Amino acid sequence: MPRMANMPGMGERTTQTNAEGGFSFDQVAPGQYVLQVDFTGFERSSQEITVAGQPVTVTVTLQPLEIVGVQPAPGAPGAAADNEALLGRIKALEQRINELEANTVLSEPETRVKRIEVYTDPNGNQYDQPTPGAKKTTTYQRERVYRRQVLSEKLEQALADAEAKKIAVGVSAASVTHYASQTSGSSHDADGHFYQLSSADLLFSAGLAQYTSFFADLVGLSGAPPDAEISGLTLLNSYTARLVRQNEVNVREAWMRTELFSQRLAISAGRLDLTNYFDRNGFANDETSQFISDALVTNPALGLTTNGSGVAGVFDPKNGFAFKAGFQQSNTDATNLSESLYTLVESDYVARPKGLSEGSYRVWFRNDNSKGSNRNGVGISADQKLNPFLGLFGRWGTSEAEVKRDNFYSLGFQVQNGVVFNPLDYWGVGYAQTDLGAGAHEKMVEGYYNFHISEKLRLSFHLQHQFEAPSGSGSTGFLLPVVRVQARF
Amino acid sequence: MVRTTRAFVAGAMVLVALALPGVASRAATVKVADPTSVVMIVNRDSNEIAFMDIKTKKIVGKTFLGNNVNPHMVMMSPDGRYVVTGGTRANKAYIIDARTLELVKVIPVDIAPEHLAFSPDGRWYYQGNPEGDSISVIDMVSLTKIKTIPGLVEPLNVVFVPDGSKAYVGNYGAHWVGVIDVRRHELLKKIQIAEVPGVAKLDPAKYLGEIKGINIPQITNDGRFLYAADTDLGVVGKIDPREDKVVKVIRVGKAPWRIYMSHDGNYAITPNNGDQTISIIDLRTDKVAATLEAGENMTGVNFAAGKAFVISSTSGFVYTYDMKTLRPAGRIKVGSNIQLETATTDAADEKLYLADSTENAVVIIDAKTYAIEKVMNVGLFPWGTHIMDSKDNYCH
Repeated sequence: MPRMANMPGMGERTTQTNAEGGFSFDQVAPGQYVLQVDFTGFERSSQEITVAGQPVTVTVTLQPLEIVGVQPAPGAPGAAADNEALLGRIKALEQRINELEANTVLSEPETRVKRIEVYTDPNGNQYDQPTPGAKKTTTYQRERVYRRQVLSEKLEQALADAEAKKIAVGVSAASVTHYASQTSGSSHDADGHFYQLSSADLLFSAGLAQYTSFFADLVGLSGAPPDAEISGLTLLNSYTARLVRQNEVNVREAWMRTELFSQRLAISAGRLDLTNYFDRNGFANDETSQFISDALVTNPALGLTTNGSGVAGVFDPKNGFAFKAGFQQSNTDATNLSESLYTLVESDYVARPKGLSEGSYRVWFRNDNSKGSNRNGVGISADQKLNPFLGLFGRWGTSEAEVKRDNFYSLGFQVQNGVVFNPLDYWGVGYAQTDLGAGAHEKMVEGYYNFHISEKLRLSFHLQHQFEAPSGSGSTGFLLPVVRVQARF
Repeated sequence: MVRTTRAFVAGAMVLVALALPGVASRAATVKVADPTSVVMIVNRDSNEIAFMDIKTKKIVGKTFLGNNVNPHMVMMSPDGRYVVTGGTRANKAYIIDARTLELVKVIPVDIAPEHLAFSPDGRWYYQGNPEGDSISVIDMVSLTKIKTIPGLVEPLNVVFVPDGSKAYVGNYGAHWVGVIDVRRHELLKKIQIAEVPGVAKLDPAKYLGEIKGINIPQITNDGRFLYAADTDLGVVGKIDPREDKVVKVIRVGKAPWRIYMSHDGNYAITPNNGDQTISIIDLRTDKVAATLEAGENMTGVNFAAGKAFVISSTSGFVYTYDMKTLRPAGRIKVGSNIQLETATTDAADEKLYLADSTENAVVIIDAKTYAIEKVMNVGLFPWGTHIMDSKDNYCH
């Protein structure tokens, strides 16, 4: 690699060769130089020369300029002269085209508003550089640039700008159909019944200020879920938790969110669904795409049955640790927050056990005073990928109750990649058991297969088997095939 | 004193320009003595290449290319003699003398030249023309375009095998990698890295609306294999260049932008803009070792000080990951309401030089301490950076 000292302030000298092609420069100070040689019809030669007080001899060879598509007839009389004239002409034309293109603005110069720092003195005089008596201030100024954009780029940019200013609206709709077949216990009215519950969420989001946004989820449900006839400790259809009154639109969530401390801390306040922030198990947390049984969507020991007004804070420095804390009104009929306060804290950790893929581990603690006294609960939640195909999940929780403690656990797995019909499909199997301190028990097992039909449409088939053993009475079992169609756009 | 030279062209009248000290300075002044000592910056809106000295952090020179040229990617020739760039809206390739920073050649190419590559011996400069569906072949000895290779589909990036016999082209408008015979500069083969799933016909909005195929087939450090991510299909295909066949298909996250090789050769990373994650592929097992949360609109990945740095263009953050534990290692806030482009890493793997387009700045990130320093006013809308001999020279 040739190297030489940088020599700022250097100039240039030119000369012409003699008839034999020789040339010389005299009185050249020691140093490093660039020698360039040009001749019509040939490529430029450029090389370094080091002068150290002694004469330097340099040999330069020029390569003929090849013009694609121009082939002089070999041996033709005057071919060399013609070729030379042609090359000269082409070069002149190329130069003219280049100048024309460089100086012609085919599209209007683009403009962009920039935030800049300037220096302003007490008289209001503005300076670009630090000036005695002037203080640094921030202002905005338009900048003109020479970016040539084709029409499609301009249209795309205009559409993107308009989109960014709009309120974003989304739709999440689902239809869940159950069939109940009793497998054990005394005869039950639900045996042989079909159930269907349809749900539609309208989602709105908008930016309010820097790192501050608004979100609302309006939900309407219609139909009859199996939970109305098959009573259980947990819901067979997790969508039922959204049902307030049929055929009415209700506010499920409406909150504002802001991000502080270099966006490490996010605070959301308003009507919240705290399960969107806490115990977010990677394989068992979403009734719209994973399990449909509520016991495999959340942890009943959380004791959170309804959304309410509250605050959630998430501190996440993106280093694998996260800390979360929140509170909300736990009883919508309460007349004040003090007597219906539900608080929750959680710590999250992203681990990568030796030889395994990543996993997320959480531990949480909660307190609820809505029953007239403080009732605590504690739980853990984990999802761990064993490899790109298989992931395990588990939850455990215990909570204070009127009689002894209520206990819960669930576990299962999810399979994706390779053991599926379509590349983005996945399936899973889970088991959940709820044991109330009062004596009632519930066992739930579910398997599902989720077809990814398109970016906006999913179809899944589930099979649930529930064993319910109320306190002091015999157990009842139901087998429930389920079909869920879910759209999101 | 310089004495004479010998003849070069018999009978020709030749103009000789010799740069000397003390005379009015012009283009032939040596501005960059050591080609490894500068960061090259592509300024898209001021239509120039800026050269920043790595030690002093000062701009030592700029090469103006012409109004509305909109250069896209810059690269130093392997011998350090030339700097080249494609002018996207001028349909030309520009060759700059790396020492004098003088524009020495402008070569018409095909439509919208963007990304480029040199053959390992430095003889051939392949300029991809995504809107011309072609690659222009430029001979770096004669500085002339000798051929245009047609038949590609939105060719974005070109990668040569170490012996220079073949080049592999990512076609963003298709799901195949083009194999170029470098001796003849001809398209030799098309390698489909994965089949489009049958369910795709049920989703015309995605598969017929716009195609996002293969950005780049990236070669492993030992030169034995190439890995190419397909954005629409969400997979990475492993290609054996000896037989030019796909030997493994690895599913990654949604909409992988492209693939980046770690400097130790053990891992590759795909930034998945569809689900805002990164997939870390263990190249020894060809399995995804970890899928980790990342940011929005990721444009590049750099490696330094044992970590991976993932640029989230519109969030103003650079996300970091420990490449030993394969766990998140925090994120670096570069600014608010800004747009980050791509970065290069210095040869010592200690610092990143990140183009911050909306601030007209280059951000220097210390890979160990995460300290940042902004060098302002490098030019308008810096789109990318390049350091000779860096292992992270790429564009977007």
